[in-house]
Amino acid sequence: MIHHVMGVDGTYPLLLTLWLLPLLGGVLCWAFGPQLKTAAGWLASGALLASFVLTIVAWPTATQNLNGAVGAHQALVSWMPGFDFGLLFDPLSLIWTCIITGVGFLIHLYSIGYMHGDRAFARFFAFLNFFVFAMLTLVLSDNFAGLLIGWGLVGLASYFLIGFWFEKPSAVAAARKAFVINVVGDIAIMMAIFIMIAKVGSVGYGDVFSHVAAFGPTLFAVCVCLFIGAAAKSAQLPLHTWLPDAMEGPTPVSALIHAATMVTAGVYLIARCAPLWNASPDAQLLVGTVGGLTALVGAILGTAQWDIKRILAYSTMSQIGYMIMGVGVGAYEGGVAHFFTHAFFKAQLFLGSGIVIHALANEQDVRRMGGLRKKLPFAFFAMLIGVLAICGLPGLSGSFSKDAVIQGALEHGHPWLYVVGVVTAGITAYYMFRMLFLTFTGAHRGEIDPSHLGMRHPELVGTPHGDSHSEHHHAPAWLMNVPVAILIVPTIAAGWLLFGGGASWWATFFATTFAPETLPAAPISEMATTGIVLLIVALGFLVAYLRYGRMGDAKAAAEKLRMETVHAFPALTNAFYFDAALDALFVRPAAWLGALSAQILDPHIIDGAVREIVHLARSLGNGVRAVQSGLLRAYVLLVVGGAVVFIAYYTLIGVHR
Amino acid sequence: MMLLALVLVPLIVGTLLFALPAAAQTLSRVIGVVASLATVVLVLAARGDDWSVRWLSRPFTAAFHLGLSGLSFWLALLLTVVTLSAIVACNASARRDLIAQLLFLEGTMLGLFLARDLLLFALFWDAMLLPVFFTLLARASHVTTAWRYFLYNFAGGLALLLATAAFGVLFGSTDVIGQAGVHVIGAWAPWILGGFALAFLVKTPVFPLHTWMPLTYADTPPAMVAVVSAVQSKAGLYGFIVIGLAFFPDYMKAYAGIFLVLGAISLIYGALAALAQSDTKRIVAYSSLSHLGLILIAIFSFNTIALQGAGLYLIAHGIFSAALFLVLGFVEEREETRSLTHLGGLGALNPRLAGALCIAALAALGLPGLAGFAGELLIITGIFQSGLLWAALLALIPIVLAAAYMLRLFQGVMNGPQRSDLPIRADLSWREGIALAPLVLALLALGTIPGALLQTVIK
Amino acid sequence: MDLTVLPVALGDYIGLSLVIFFIGVAGIALRRNPLIVLMSIELMWNAANLLFITFARVYMNNAGHIFAFLVITVAAAEAAIGLAIVVVVFRNAKNVDVDDVRILRG
Repeated sequence: MIHHVMGVDGTYPLLLTLWLLPLLGGVLCWAFGPQLKTAAGWLASGALLASFVLTIVAWPTATQNLNGAVGAHQALVSWMPGFDFGLLFDPLSLIWTCIITGVGFLIHLYSIGYMHGDRAFARFFAFLNFFVFAMLTLVLSDNFAGLLIGWGLVGLASYFLIGFWFEKPSAVAAARKAFVINVVGDIAIMMAIFIMIAKVGSVGYGDVFSHVAAFGPTLFAVCVCLFIGAAAKSAQLPLHTWLPDAMEGPTPVSALIHAATMVTAGVYLIARCAPLWNASPDAQLLVGTVGGLTALVGAILGTAQWDIKRILAYSTMSQIGYMIMGVGVGAYEGGVAHFFTHAFFKAQLFLGSGIVIHALANEQDVRRMGGLRKKLPFAFFAMLIGVLAICGLPGLSGSFSKDAVIQGALEHGHPWLYVVGVVTAGITAYYMFRMLFLTFTGAHRGEIDPSHLGMRHPELVGTPHGDSHSEHHHAPAWLMNVPVAILIVPTIAAGWLLFGGGASWWATFFATTFAPETLPAAPISEMATTGIVLLIVALGFLVAYLRYGRMGDAKAAAEKLRMETVHAFPALTNAFYFDAALDALFVRPAAWLGALSAQILDPHIIDGAVREIVHLARSLGNGVRAVQSGLLRAYVLLVVGGAVVFIAYYTLIGVHR
Repeated sequence: MMLLALVLVPLIVGTLLFALPAAAQTLSRVIGVVASLATVVLVLAARGDDWSVRWLSRPFTAAFHLGLSGLSFWLALLLTVVTLSAIVACNASARRDLIAQLLFLEGTMLGLFLARDLLLFALFWDAMLLPVFFTLLARASHVTTAWRYFLYNFAGGLALLLATAAFGVLFGSTDVIGQAGVHVIGAWAPWILGGFALAFLVKTPVFPLHTWMPLTYADTPPAMVAVVSAVQSKAGLYGFIVIGLAFFPDYMKAYAGIFLVLGAISLIYGALAALAQSDTKRIVAYSSLSHLGLILIAIFSFNTIALQGAGLYLIAHGIFSAALFLVLGFVEEREETRSLTHLGGLGALNPRLAGALCIAALAALGLPGLAGFAGELLIITGIFQSGLLWAALLALIPIVLAAAYMLRLFQGVMNGPQRSDLPIRADLSWREGIALAPLVLALLALGTIPGALLQTVIK
Repeated sequence: MDLTVLPVALGDYIGLSLVIFFIGVAGIALRRNPLIVLMSIELMWNAANLLFITFARVYMNNAGHIFAFLVITVAAAEAAIGLAIVVVVFRNAKNVDVDDVRILRG
């Protein structure tokens, strides 16, 4: 088999440097944390800034096109034939690298302010930098095994950062849950790798994509395995349950890992494997459907949340559903574009909510907020822009990419997914504005007793994140505001890259990545779709305004919220029982079997059998111990008797009988 | 001669240590470190050597034949490095005795891995039981464990000796390990293989012969259990590769089903049982059962990729289980308990200790980028390629379970709120850190660039 | 095989040896005094020695003589150790009845 490489083979020191810089920063922060103190934050941010600048400098190498080989390829090490590791820097990895290092840098900067005074300040930045390194490994790898290594390492970084305040039992449990579910995804990708090795004999992207036909009927299995991996990482049904819990981590972590970058790895994987999906319409249908359902379910569940970060978490789940739907049905450019714009506006929303949480000394429940517009005008402004972008107000970034996904579903022949996309857009507008109204408008409800708001566990609300994150308000505010302010620019403008349909900058950029296709004209034009979506979004906004925009004074609002909390649908408050189902199907049976083996099989059955053998030996011994009387004369008689018997045997019967 | 020195140096230095006064703790550690460092250097220097003296001519040919190449080089290197780490890390109160026993253990096991003669192999097989047996016997509360360890393994050892004798009589020579073209056939061959296999299965151990192991691993002092779990448990799998696969390939294939099923049961059973333990060392003990079951399956899949992965995973498991037991030993010595119900919240005041346990646990759960992952990936790839779809699918389940029980172990010890009823002790010391450093570096190196090992381990 | 070298018939030598041997056996089996037991063992050694010497003569082979000397040496050593044991037992138990020394009972 000829070794087939994607990209122009060569040595690219820039690429290696931008990949390894975050690792270096992370190791330095980890090893010299106590000495660096707050300098650790600047060191880590500096490493990312340098990495981002190098990405921009290296841009031309990613878009170079030499006889059809697009991008840069750098060979690294080889384990054995078929397992060759290297870096691939092409337009798709370039977009991800830009977001990872660019948005990552802004979030690092923000964290210097947010994490100020934390006891493990340096370790936080070590983990954050390590995450960026892992994520870069994931998107820069030129083969599935390298991708899997990055895949596992980002899961580890996510584990560390969700459980960063590890003295809090809920954070510890959430971290473990996230890790274990992600390992389920890892083994699914391993499974895909096995099939690739068996059918193609290599895990390199180039080898696999140039031998799609070799898979035959197993292609669908490969796609399903890869998609299970993507679903676990990108919080798709039914493996999404870890994402809301992951909000136990510090808010910058939620912004970087659980909104902008790591959770979109599944989108990257499917976009990367476009040749596989293009050859398997069944897989396209499956992935598109799951993506659409996730978008819908995430949005519905988002309407019933009270924790500001959990609202954003379900919103993330829903938006990734859009992306997965897009890349699933074959609208790769739309799906990737939605990742691109979502990274900006969702990071901005999370960082804005972080400013609110920070200002309220770690209060996260929107029932105890309200009226913060005057106190935190900048946060309000930033989050308003973010909400408008996510809802798809024409001209802001979200509208371009979301419409591209919804329209793409229709163009690729999935009208039902089109409907799901449109409906979800309406629900999105509802729950995002609900959050905005509850947080920033009306009267402030922070002084109202939690029980009057219908909270079942008032003692848990507003618990500081351990002593490690004590109340502090002396961090320079500009450190948290500047990154948010910078993010506003792409939140508004990034979508214009898609302006112009097939001739847009975006389409040109990806022309060599995703094979251009000619599709039959959709029954609804792009303009009409934008109009329909806008109409539905306006409806969602209206409902949110009627319910939460005019709640009156604090007391009336509190009573209203209490009634709503008490009368909430159990199915919604229990998140459609996904957690309970996974628990009953997998977690508890495993624990039960473990207890069975450890407490019954080992000590009683296996050791019991061994004890029976011991008893047998002992009773045999008891049987013959009478012979051993200790009487010398008896022994002599036995010896003589024995001798007599032997002699008699050989004299009377003889050796040969 | 270097090979002979390699076996004799630890044995002689170990004996001489008893000439020191029992109170000479620092001196005995210095001597132990120098001796084990010398063995590391000797292993590196003597790679590829071969040394032989005629031993027996009747009833079959046997030789005192030592060799150091292929898999035995890597296992010998693992053994010497882990012993060095264990001696540096050793905190036991009866330090002189423990270091002496560690050197005995090292010498006898070096003899085992270097042996190129089956009879020599069988003799060292039994000899390597004694250091552990006597160490356990020295503590009154561990006498039951000592006997259980000894009886199980000695029973296996007798089967091995019998099989070796039969092999010698049937084939005419036991000076065969590492030689190509030695195939034993005939009506007795399956029985001889059975004798070898029994010894190997007990030693590994494999379900249902494993019940000596959790007790032994829990009661043996940390420094010694690190060596036992890291290297002694590999003797059986090493035997399957250099004896079973080499001399009985046809019978191995004919009876593969039994071993595959036993391996698969161990794989799942160990992982499930590890979930339910509350003793930190028993969790690791049962995880060993699971991991070594995977290697057994790999050996009996007769696939090149799986065998190369098995070689890598043998070494990787040795490194991370040694690291795990050493760190858990540090925790036990500090907090005077191994129970997860009593431990918790140590991470806040012991960040270095937490970091060490974290790295070891991550390697054990197969984190991509560390050595365990590379081994698992190659093994299961090979199993899948060999057509054993059920085994490949089954082998994926323990990876998820490993994540669950290893995180339960790590978080149970290090995370959560601090506990007021635990004594507050110093964080990981420099000496303890240095003991772990070679293991961690090896995990990283083998996880990213295992090519050097893979190409030499299986010819 | 030339039996004429012997002044007495071979069978008589074997018979005498057997008689001495069984006197020894009877002594061990019936007497309870350890000194007598030791003497009886000595008788059994000598019965064996007699056979060694006899057959050495019959086959004209010195190996029998060598074995006889070996037996005498071992018998002397055995007597020394045996007497030492008897003395120790006597000191501890104030009694030298072999039936009373039963601590090796199973």
